[in-house]
Amino acid sequence: MNAVLKISDLHKSFKSGFIPRKKEILRGISLDVGEGEIFGYLGPNGAGKTTTLKCILGLIFPDKGNIEIFGLPHLSLEAKEQIGYLPENPYFYDYLTASEFLHFCCQLTLIAKKERKKKIEALLRLVGLESSTHLQLRKFSRGMLQRIGLAQALIHEPSLVFLDEPLGGLDPLGRKEIRDIIVRLKEEGKTVFLCSHILQDIEMICDRVAIIVNGEISSQGKLKDLIAEEILFTEIVLSGVDDQKLRRLGDAVFAHGEKILLKVYQEEKIDQVLRLVQSEKGTIHSLIPRTETLEDLFVDMVKKG
Amino acid sequence: MKKKFVVVVLILSLGTFMGLKIKVDRIKREKIPGASIIYIPSGKYLKYTTFGYSSLLADLIYLWAIQYYTTYTVVNRFEHLDHIFSVISELDPHYLDPYEIGAMIAIYEARDINLAYKILDRGLEKNPDQWIFPFQAAHYAQMISRDYALAREYYKKTMEIEGAPTITKRLYASAAYKIADYQTAWDTWLDVFNNAEDERVKKIADNHLYQVKSAMDIQAIHETIEKYKQRYGRNPANLSQLVRSGILNILPQDRDGKDYLYDPQKGEVKAASIPWKR
Amino acid sequence: MKIRVIASNTFKEAIRDRILYLLLFFAAVCIAFSRLLALLTVGDRVKIIKDVGLGSLSLFGALMAILMGTGLVYKEIDKKTVYTILSKPIHRYQFLLGKYLGLILTLFIMLLLMSFIFLALVFFHSFTIEWKLLIAVVYIFIEICLITAVALLFSCFSTPILSSIFSLSFYLIGHTSWGLENSINKMNSGIGKILIQILYTFLPDLENFNFKTEVVHNLPIPSEIFLYSFIYGTFYSVFLLALAMLVFRKKDFT
Repeated sequence: MNAVLKISDLHKSFKSGFIPRKKEILRGISLDVGEGEIFGYLGPNGAGKTTTLKCILGLIFPDKGNIEIFGLPHLSLEAKEQIGYLPENPYFYDYLTASEFLHFCCQLTLIAKKERKKKIEALLRLVGLESSTHLQLRKFSRGMLQRIGLAQALIHEPSLVFLDEPLGGLDPLGRKEIRDIIVRLKEEGKTVFLCSHILQDIEMICDRVAIIVNGEISSQGKLKDLIAEEILFTEIVLSGVDDQKLRRLGDAVFAHGEKILLKVYQEEKIDQVLRLVQSEKGTIHSLIPRTETLEDLFVDMVKKG
Repeated sequence: MKKKFVVVVLILSLGTFMGLKIKVDRIKREKIPGASIIYIPSGKYLKYTTFGYSSLLADLIYLWAIQYYTTYTVVNRFEHLDHIFSVISELDPHYLDPYEIGAMIAIYEARDINLAYKILDRGLEKNPDQWIFPFQAAHYAQMISRDYALAREYYKKTMEIEGAPTITKRLYASAAYKIADYQTAWDTWLDVFNNAEDERVKKIADNHLYQVKSAMDIQAIHETIEKYKQRYGRNPANLSQLVRSGILNILPQDRDGKDYLYDPQKGEVKAASIPWKR
Repeated sequence: MKIRVIASNTFKEAIRDRILYLLLFFAAVCIAFSRLLALLTVGDRVKIIKDVGLGSLSLFGALMAILMGTGLVYKEIDKKTVYTILSKPIHRYQFLLGKYLGLILTLFIMLLLMSFIFLALVFFHSFTIEWKLLIAVVYIFIEICLITAVALLFSCFSTPILSSIFSLSFYLIGHTSWGLENSINKMNSGIGKILIQILYTFLPDLENFNFKTEVVHNLPIPSEIFLYSFIYGTFYSVFLLALAMLVFRKKDFT
């Protein structure tokens, strides 16, 4: 695998407090991100996600360890030319308008002057902000700021894009739009490094993930490798059957109005349930097999750490 | 940027500006002495503008003033001496040193004794219990300008303040004597004599009383001699002639009861003894 | 080139800062007030206007430099706008220099405005444009460049309030170091004296840029001091900027 981002044995600790006490944040992080994949970086609050990201971007200097971007030292300007970064809770110069701000970002990269205007327009259209082109950033809503942040991360067409909680604070429609953009980036051959809490989205779009707990990577790999494919249990929502009879067949019978949610752990019992409902003239509202989700894995990892 | 590069720049620029500072220091620039202080306004509102730090400010200005006035390379530095010490007085009227030192600078450096009086007067005005100010003023008047009348005034002022040293009275009397105010001198010396705290002072008073009496008597005798001369056209041969001629009733004697000596040729009268050798 | 980008951006931001205009207003008030004082004085009226005017330019220029300089880098760190910029292909030193030059340009324009008001007022009184006064103004500007460098340095690691206090102290020390010189001359020779002499040479001497008295009283100024003061100011600023770079280059932005 062609490693676009390679982190080896990253260590970082901070001294804090009046009597400086050393607090280790990163205890030897190593991970690889391959070309063209969407990589998810997960972890509970305080695990070290943002610290890792800041180390990669040169905002924090690690105590030990090595970071390479496209094989180049991560602090070099050539490496920086090829990466884009959307910070969590983005904040930009609020007296600039959207297009002025993107113009400013262009000036810091190698985009040729005559191409700037075109690119800015295209990108504003992409993130859905073309109506706010001349609006001052101080008047942007949170969601709009998120979008302009994405725009500035992509303006110079970087091959590796770092997104820190890009879907936070967006409404479901917004989240879908951003998800679509991320998938599109992958289709264009770019690599995406995604930090997020929203596990459903990660599960939906990521190829590989790493879970960081307490400063260490507790698991890393392809999503489908990490999450077992076997069915854990089946959820059946039914009504019209006496719940006493159901108790032998499944676990955890909950009554909600008329509907009952039944978790059946053994596959054979499913048929029994179905036959019971038929005989009692009840109704099956839904039957959903549940496999292990990322959330389950996540909670598991955190508990272990 | 490479760390080494930045450190090199750091050291080079440090060396350069330090070297330049030494160079620039050597360049003589014309200074208007005390230029920065001149715009501190004096006046009764100054104190309120200093937010309660007026006493500290007075100290600082005083310190500056001492440094400044002892820097002999600055010529013409006394133009604003009055202003500066008046500012210090405004800020902290009860700070006593500046009055004395200011007066001293005025006299010995600026050679302006009137300014010294002014400063000491101000000191007394703001601190009526400080006898040292008129005391010093009296000394300056007496020793430097030999203005005994002024000295006498200042001694009088000093005497009126409680706690003034006892010698003040005697100095007052001496000054009075020097300006030939014999009556005051006599009265004062008599007072000292009667209230003398020890034998030594009593003796001093006694000697001075002798001196004053002699002076008064001699003055009177000389007046009489003048009258005699006018009448008879010549000096009397001896002092008893004055009595016989009726111009003088009684021939005065000195404090010890001795007669005065008379030189008929010059027409001058002298006391029999030197007061402090009695 | 990238320095220029940051500089022009900083300039755009600084020129919108209301503090500048507040201080400009007060400077104008002081200069106008001097006209009132001039009416009360006996003798040469213009002198007071010149003195107060130059004094205002110097004081308010320094205040502008301190108040804006101490926020230069701190604001970026505090508001996290620095993350976006430093993740782009730009060196940290380019960022610092850009901020510095942007502010210097802003202060230059402010000083120009104040000088204009000042010269206009002098013109009303003496009916000549006294170009000689500009000599003092030029060196006031150099002094401001130095003060800005100090403010920038403190801005890299300290909050605006503390930085302002430190910068103000720098300013005060700069104008009173001649007092130390007087004391040195009265000291006995020895290790102590040498150490204090070294300290004295290191401390800033902002009086080197002070030609106000000479210009107002029409005193002769030895010509070599112009060059030496200028170089002194330049190298001291370079020193401070280098120091700022050392502090800033390995700073962690948590």
